[in-house]
Amino acid sequence: MRYFIYLSIAFLLFGCGHGLFNQQVRPDNLNFPPLEFKFPEVSQLQMDNGLKLYLKEDHELPLVELTLLVEGGSIHDPLDKTGFSQFFARTLSTGGTEELSPAELETELEAMAAILTVSSSTYGYEINLSLNQQDLERGIEILADLLRRPRFDPARMELVRTQMLENIHRKNDDPGSIAGRLLSGAVYPGHPFGAEPTAAMVASFTREDLLELHQRYFQPQNFWLAVSGDVRQAELVSLLDQQLGDWHSTESMIRELPSLPAAAAGKILLVDKDIPQTTVLMGHLGISKDNPDVLALQVANYILGGGGFNSRMMREVRSDRGLAYSVYSYFQVGRQLPGMYIVGSETKSQSTVEVVTLLQQLIQQIRAEPVSAAELDLAKKSLINSFVFAFADSHSVVNRKVRLDYYGYPKDYLETYRQKVAAVTIADVQRVARQYLHPDKLQIVLIGNSHQYADEIKTLGLPVENIDLQSIQ
Amino acid sequence: MQRRMTSILFIFLFIIPGLAFAQTLVDKVQEHHLDNGATVLLVERHDSPTVAAYISFRVGAVNETSNERGVAHLLEHMLFKGTKTLGTKNYAAEKPLLQQIKTVGQQIDVLKNQAVTDPQKLQQLRDQLKALQKKHRKLVVKNEFSKIYGENGGVGYNAYTGKDSTTYLINLPANKLELWAAIESDRLENAIFREFYTERDVVHEERRRSYESSPDGLMYETLLATAYEVHPYRNPVIGWNSDIDNLDPDEIRDFFDKYYTPVNMVITLVGDFDSQSTLQMVDRYFGRLAPGIQVPPVLDREPEQKGERRAYIDFDAEQQLMIAYHKPTMPQRADYVFDILMQVLCEGRTSRLYKSLVVEKQLVTDVNVFGAPGSRYDNLMILSMTPRFSCSCTNIEDAVYLELERLKSEPLTLAELDTARKQIMTSILRGLKGNSGLARMLSSYQTLGDWRYLVDYEKQLNSITAQDVMDVAKRYLQADNRTVVTLRRGEQS
Repeated sequence: MRYFIYLSIAFLLFGCGHGLFNQQVRPDNLNFPPLEFKFPEVSQLQMDNGLKLYLKEDHELPLVELTLLVEGGSIHDPLDKTGFSQFFARTLSTGGTEELSPAELETELEAMAAILTVSSSTYGYEINLSLNQQDLERGIEILADLLRRPRFDPARMELVRTQMLENIHRKNDDPGSIAGRLLSGAVYPGHPFGAEPTAAMVASFTREDLLELHQRYFQPQNFWLAVSGDVRQAELVSLLDQQLGDWHSTESMIRELPSLPAAAAGKILLVDKDIPQTTVLMGHLGISKDNPDVLALQVANYILGGGGFNSRMMREVRSDRGLAYSVYSYFQVGRQLPGMYIVGSETKSQSTVEVVTLLQQLIQQIRAEPVSAAELDLAKKSLINSFVFAFADSHSVVNRKVRLDYYGYPKDYLETYRQKVAAVTIADVQRVARQYLHPDKLQIVLIGNSHQYADEIKTLGLPVENIDLQSIQ
Repeated sequence: MQRRMTSILFIFLFIIPGLAFAQTLVDKVQEHHLDNGATVLLVERHDSPTVAAYISFRVGAVNETSNERGVAHLLEHMLFKGTKTLGTKNYAAEKPLLQQIKTVGQQIDVLKNQAVTDPQKLQQLRDQLKALQKKHRKLVVKNEFSKIYGENGGVGYNAYTGKDSTTYLINLPANKLELWAAIESDRLENAIFREFYTERDVVHEERRRSYESSPDGLMYETLLATAYEVHPYRNPVIGWNSDIDNLDPDEIRDFFDKYYTPVNMVITLVGDFDSQSTLQMVDRYFGRLAPGIQVPPVLDREPEQKGERRAYIDFDAEQQLMIAYHKPTMPQRADYVFDILMQVLCEGRTSRLYKSLVVEKQLVTDVNVFGAPGSRYDNLMILSMTPRFSCSCTNIEDAVYLELERLKSEPLTLAELDTARKQIMTSILRGLKGNSGLARMLSSYQTLGDWRYLVDYEKQLNSITAQDVMDVAKRYLQADNRTVVTLRRGEQS
């Protein structure tokens, strides 16, 4: 203790003296050396059977990560079988292989401390396998067995069914997930994006359906494999060749996507739930990655609600008025079909209408008035200077490369990203805000103690649809 | 940019990397101590031109007294409001206004708590406060830290307050590291707590969001308040509503001045830099701070539990169940044993509870285990279950207790022990990927004691025997040491 006190006195003296002669330099006035940055290299190969392999070796830790993207996904679920792709993914991951029963497969993977997951997303299936380096050979053998000869064990299939039914039963527990579901339904009526599984649908899924889906989509030419970690290319290629080389594709995938419904007029979806805070979630149809204005919109949205504490929404709703902890907006940039523009927040029951009104005004404002040069500059610098973090982790580097190619991004997308952001002007921001933000089309979902604001809501002048959670069980 | 958040459910990994990696850690981590007592951990990693920068303090909600609950967390919010030079157009003009705002705010807080209050007087003061805040806002440069970090490419600018510690973090392009040092040292030296009363409202919204509207949050909060009677681990980090209502700017300032100081501080940098010049730079900015005083240890001891405790919550959601047992914390040997025990019990699809409850008996759709709420003082093993619609919690409890009895009566097989060890060590390895993962881990353990806990960990884990697991299960997994919380819609039947 004495030691600390002695030093503190010495330091205070030094500190004072120092301060007399040196004004505090504002941190933004410091000079920084230029950043040295090279795009990391990813090896790309294609096997004779069509499998595309992307590899980034990284020998720091004795681990290997594999992510296999398989064409398909929930966009292809028929409307009367919504949720089937999820049913498929879960049964694939837990249902064993021809060689290994579900329990044997799990025991062997867990003894290796490997993690295997299968998930379904909008445009594909994703299989992740995380391994210790010394288990690579056996890991790939098991992966190949699963891909080629899944068992879809009937008992495990029933377990998956039960779990999905339980999730349906529980879907009204959490206000955030209720809101998300209702918003998708309101923006995409009659489309897979807006559909949700019912108990009757889940009850109707069969093992034959699983086998059929597997046969249709699981073919090497539909495989995009991203690998990173402690592995040598020659060894990996040889292992893959041994396990998958003699597997040939039979049918080529045709990607036909169901067309989108027309944008609906704005309305309020009002849900009563006995909680002290209202979940506010609003949205309308947005854009896809093929839209030429996508980066200008990212800049506009950074200023409006995407830039965290640097956004107008955060400043107005949280920082100035203390009305919310979280408030944000973003464009879900659709990989193929347009995604949604989404705005969200939560606020106490009494300030619900105040927050909705503020958010509407902020959207109107960015359409009506040019943003300031300082706002534009901050948004652009932030997007440009944080770009380097897209490459901070080797598995995300290789995964991103796979996705850019799978979804058909322009070849120079990453190389030109910063230039394109830098080129966005104040006029661009206003133009895209006017073109893609539609306050009159917002579907406004409010979950909370609705009798506290049901009257006040009328001042918003929008049609109100009351939704009873019991009736949508 | 991520939103700032409090991670009340922040759970320390109790666990560490393989022997080979232990050696790598020893080789890679450089530990330094500045003359004012600040600890600096540096790890050079040159794969990507980025740096993860963490500053942690050995102070958290556990160090609050009963009339300052929520101070550490609101302080975390206030530390984003700027300094004498940042976040302001003119500090000299601001200063008297800030003083007036505080005076009126404190008057309101006194008045609103009186049994008999003149509502007119109260309203008048509230209007006055509003007018002052409006006037003050004109002098504020909003969220300037965030702006400067943002335009310099910072990502993940955030902070979290836990029971045991508080952490401020940012990831920056490697050439901007000095920016971090300049901002963070300025914030420790010259922080100004602007917009205090507005931010207190934000914290109320945060509490409504994370606890009062969330079945999970409500369960967790109730569990802690039931399992602990004496130890401050019983209190939510964010504070109870009446705590938040009465948090005071002077209290916050006092807490900050005492504890957010070099003797309680751990700086961890991982990434693309040169250690020698970086250490000099860190010393140049942080070395000038006054050492401060060490956070005193918490003297409250939770008495041994004398019988099962149960709580029920009526909330608009399907049923949920949590079961907790008191247990010793690190680095006691029993804590390592619990790491193994919890792994065998509940991690992965071959774990005992998953097999029994999810696959065979099909009573629940999911079961999880975690250690909480902190690691500096004796803590809890918590089992959390999602019951199936048709199953009663009583059946589920019986099935859980059956598995816990097995742990007491049958030794684990060698295969189970080996798998558990390998899984734990591999999960640590996975956590070390990326600069931020490694920085977080080093920072956590150094704040709790010593990052070398990680180096020694595998040896400790390997020394745990099947008999140790049986002994610990017998000692701690007793009904008398248990707390059970259930939640569902409607009154308890």
